[in-house]
Amino acid sequence: MDASLSTASSDASAPTLRSRLARFFKSYLVRSLLQALFTVWLVLTVTFVLIRLMPGNPVEVFVDRLVSDQGITREEALAQAAAMFSVDFNAPIHEQYLQYLGNLVRGDLGVSISSTNTPVIEIIARFLPWTLFSVGLGLLISFILGLLIGMLMAYWRNSIFDVAVSTLASFLSSIPNYLLPIILIYLIGVQWKLLPVARMRGTYDPRLTPGFSIEFIASVLLYAMLPVLTYVLSQVGHWALSMKNSTLSVMGEEYVNAAHARGLPQRRILVAYVGRNASLPLFTQLALSVGAVVGGAIIIELFFLYQGIGVRLFEAIGARDYPLMQGIFLMITLSTVLANLLADLLYSQLDPRVRLGTGK
Amino acid sequence: MTHQPVLSIQNLHVEYTARRGKVKAVRDVSFDVFPGETVAVIGESGCGKTTLALALVRLLARSAKITGGKVLFQGGKYSAPIDVLRLNRRQLRAFRWRNCAMVFQSALNALNPVLKVSAQVQDTARAHGEHDAKQIEERALWLFQQVRLDPRRVYDAYPHELSGGMRQRVLLALGLLLDPQVVILDEPTTALDVLTQRTIIEVLKRLREEMGFALIFISHDLSMAAELAHRIVTMYAGNIVEIGQVNEVFYQPKHPYTLGLMRAVPNLSGQRTDLISIHGSPPDLIDPPHGCAFAPRCAYVQPICHQQAPPLEMRATDHASACHFWDQLPILREMPALQPKAID
Repeated sequence: MDASLSTASSDASAPTLRSRLARFFKSYLVRSLLQALFTVWLVLTVTFVLIRLMPGNPVEVFVDRLVSDQGITREEALAQAAAMFSVDFNAPIHEQYLQYLGNLVRGDLGVSISSTNTPVIEIIARFLPWTLFSVGLGLLISFILGLLIGMLMAYWRNSIFDVAVSTLASFLSSIPNYLLPIILIYLIGVQWKLLPVARMRGTYDPRLTPGFSIEFIASVLLYAMLPVLTYVLSQVGHWALSMKNSTLSVMGEEYVNAAHARGLPQRRILVAYVGRNASLPLFTQLALSVGAVVGGAIIIELFFLYQGIGVRLFEAIGARDYPLMQGIFLMITLSTVLANLLADLLYSQLDPRVRLGTGK
Repeated sequence: MTHQPVLSIQNLHVEYTARRGKVKAVRDVSFDVFPGETVAVIGESGCGKTTLALALVRLLARSAKITGGKVLFQGGKYSAPIDVLRLNRRQLRAFRWRNCAMVFQSALNALNPVLKVSAQVQDTARAHGEHDAKQIEERALWLFQQVRLDPRRVYDAYPHELSGGMRQRVLLALGLLLDPQVVILDEPTTALDVLTQRTIIEVLKRLREEMGFALIFISHDLSMAAELAHRIVTMYAGNIVEIGQVNEVFYQPKHPYTLGLMRAVPNLSGQRTDLISIHGSPPDLIDPPHGCAFAPRCAYVQPICHQQAPPLEMRATDHASACHFWDQLPILREMPALQPKAID
């Protein structure tokens, strides 16, 4: 009879170093971290291989252009390129690889070609936070709003609210993403004159000095409003519809019925029994979206002249600024991996069934 | 035995709205359940057993509607009978589980996968105003012990860490947490292996004596019904076709449908008899046939059966049947000289 089963961990009465190590590596957190590190290393290596070893690689192209444009020798051009990429191109390939990894660890991503002699890491440090802020805020708002709306739609299925929101949601998600900013600029800036759209360039009012003043923070929020609004409008419908479907299927689950039978208060059932289970699959989707935050806002940033990393990437591609591109791509990789890691850990907190191998 | 029923179901009607029309799933069902008594509701799939059970605690799907009748409850804090169908939301919420616990058919999915058993136990208690977590925990551990679970381990486990049989017993224990007057079990052992079934039957027998709750269980497992029940209710096509003391019904069924059910299961103890299944399938409940609903499948059918529905009437002491020819049915087995089971 299964009643006599003892817990599996009770035999580990005297933990040896080996069993401790084994448990350490079995823990969900450690496994996820190792996996994330491995992914980052893999991407770095592939990037390195692509840039250095392909015929007609960016470095060769850059060196050739220097030679023809500035009339310098190939040697000088190569030295210049080496300074920019922070790697000695004359060294054997494995040394280059080690140099490259070493530089990365020290945060040296090379020097931007288009904006002369500015280290790539500085450009990223200046522009990335704005993108993280605006797109992150947009993602957070659209996710939470979508979850709430989706749940309400499921509870009031076939009500006017449900039908109206469903229609609106599918309408909004079917608008191409370059049209939405135009419509918003036209309506809010030109038609209703709610915001001085023409003067709003950048991420805050240039007359203000950055700091923790109320004015500055208000200006930051004001300037981010339209990009965030665009992002929310284009995403919230998707979240709401996903959540509605998920909620509907959870509401049909036996444990929800059983919770009603146990006389639990409606609010407790909605939050802990329906909401928590219904939002589980959405967290996986959220992880994927968070990963796309860095690269995903190019169009929105371009339209609103919002000075984030998306605009820089767009310019870097146009100017063939390889060190900068490489740096930004690295950021995209890192954010994707990090987001997945966080989602993994969060998910394991939300759903005990995936907490495998944690001993308990 | 008190003579006030703890639950009195009177002329209950339930309809489902389907695309083709109204499905009359429960039609004019009446019976009483007395304190400490065990009533088994038997019948084949789709006869309205589960709908009946759900209607008693008003947990029917949205598409279902109770179109008539009363469900009178008397017990616990209610010293005079109240109609469950007329309770407001707050009263109903308090009535569920505190007075009448329903343990669901699919035990595998009846626990929230993301909450520990302990959290779900505490949730249930808190919903009924029991805020002493320590005391609730002790009670839950005691109940887990009673249903032969390893109390500590189960209490701290997540549902997915328990086997199907263990989850079924957790639910049973959870059902008894607030000491309800009525416990409804919907197919409590269907998904379980024979040994676990055995455990559950033993546990139920013992606990109902110790705690004195009335038990309504829905089953198509006749052997379990025979073992546990004081009275048997046979349902067919949404109607009660026979109701009576367990020995009466099992040895001398007075409705051909019950007789058919008995003949369709092997008799392990007795002599070898041929198994006979009931041919055909239950009638369309959107447009039930005139006359006796069982007539198209009945081996003893006469012309009158197609024209006139037989009323459910007393045919012997505490034994009612809805058949025109109840006295012409063969006696299934000679009734042994047994005293009818006493309710203690």
